[in-house]
Amino acid sequence: MGLVSWARSKSPWIAHFCTGSCNACDIEILACLTPRYDIERFGAVLKGSIRHADILLVTGPVTRQVRDRLLRIYEQMPEPKYVVAVGTCATSSGVYRGAYNVYPGVDSVIPVTAYISGCPVKPENIINGLSFLLKKIGESK
Amino acid sequence: MSFEQYVVETLKTVVFPGFVFIFFLSLFYEWFDRKFYARLQNRVGPLYTGFYGLLQPLADFIKLLSKEDIVPKKVDQLLFTMTPLFTLALSIFATLLLPISSNQGVVSFNGDVIVSILILTFICITVFYAGLSTYNRYAVIGAERLFLQMIGYEIPLTLSVVGVALNAQSLLLSDIVLSQERWWYILGPQALGFIVFVFAAQAELERIPFDLPEAEQEIIAGWNIDYSGRRLAMFRLARNIELVFLCGLAATFFLGGPLGPTIEGYTPILYTLYFVIKSLFVLAVLTVVRALFARLRIDQVESFCWKYLLPLALFQFVLVRLIL
Ligand code: SF4
Repeated sequence: MGLVSWARSKSPWIAHFCTGSCNACDIEILACLTPRYDIERFGAVLKGSIRHADILLVTGPVTRQVRDRLLRIYEQMPEPKYVVAVGTCATSSGVYRGAYNVYPGVDSVIPVTAYISGCPVKPENIINGLSFLLKKIGESK
Repeated sequence: MSFEQYVVETLKTVVFPGFVFIFFLSLFYEWFDRKFYARLQNRVGPLYTGFYGLLQPLADFIKLLSKEDIVPKKVDQLLFTMTPLFTLALSIFATLLLPISSNQGVVSFNGDVIVSILILTFICITVFYAGLSTYNRYAVIGAERLFLQMIGYEIPLTLSVVGVALNAQSLLLSDIVLSQERWWYILGPQALGFIVFVFAAQAELERIPFDLPEAEQEIIAGWNIDYSGRRLAMFRLARNIELVFLCGLAATFFLGGPLGPTIEGYTPILYTLYFVIKSLFVLAVLTVVRALFARLRIDQVESFCWKYLLPLALFQFVLVRLIL
């Protein structure tokens, strides 16, 4: 593990983007930041500006309205960037699949590195997905 | 000067107590701040990066250095590239004034008290231009708030320092340190000055409750919204060094700087230790303030500074005059 990939795997700054979820997944993400689960243990900090972030957490099915915004947000992130689809809606659009106004999952719009399923996801599950992603980042060159 | 003196002076500036020492000290202070803040909120804070997360700020720094550096098309190219450098250079220079390993800083000249206050203002101005140069709406709002805030806290800050300088009858940091050999200024009427200084330092560092220029929930990231990669790393490092500088300055002015009981032969090491402990105490106070309060509105900041901090600073000033 090189120095740079070590630093990248130890300091994931996350940005949170809601593409039209029912807000349950968002609240579970917030639960991760609270004293009980506290993902700052891994160095993860929630950042407001997308230019500071390394990991984009996307929740909810991508609606037609939000697709362009999601693309623009994604393109504003500095490389190297990773996208995590949080929740069944984000991975496969869940109960909304086949509806006239949603795309089938985030990966049909932008490339996704990790999928976390659950409706809503459990905070433990988010931490599990995050640590999986961090391991991947640490192993990469 | 002989060759050996040249070598010693260079090492003093570059290694200890100069750049390298300050760099690692600033990372350590950030770790202490984050960890203590997390503990106050009943969280764990950084844990898995090094021993108890000690390497977390270093990991953040290296990661930011290795990230893509985006320069948006519509920014003012010159200011956008220069302001991070200026901010970093100013804050590094400021720390050279601090008396760390002896009663004198690496750089010491008559009037360095004034220069240290001046540098704080300069840093504020460069940061203001950093926000302005991006032409981002949020950044401009952040920069404006920064300036408004500066109008509020700058005068109480200076007045609290004036009280100290008046008591020591000198504008030299080393004289101020030496004049506290018998008793620390915080034990006298300067205790009020210490309170003023802590709040003003909090505002200078843009920490809660004065974090309006970066208010995440209102204006996303404030003036640094468009900075990424290397430039952001520079700004963060500059902020951390400024944190060291302000904590050290508070320790110098009110807690007797690096002075303390010494053993013959180990004076510089012990002095450094005392300095770090005292400024960590100040940092702990700053962190507690950060954890206790919620963000103020800009008009509340102004009225807080003008209605409470300024009269307090003036009162302290009058007390010092009476005692002298
Ligand atoms: S996965 Fe379930 S909880 Fe999450 S946004 Fe979709 S419907 Fe809501």
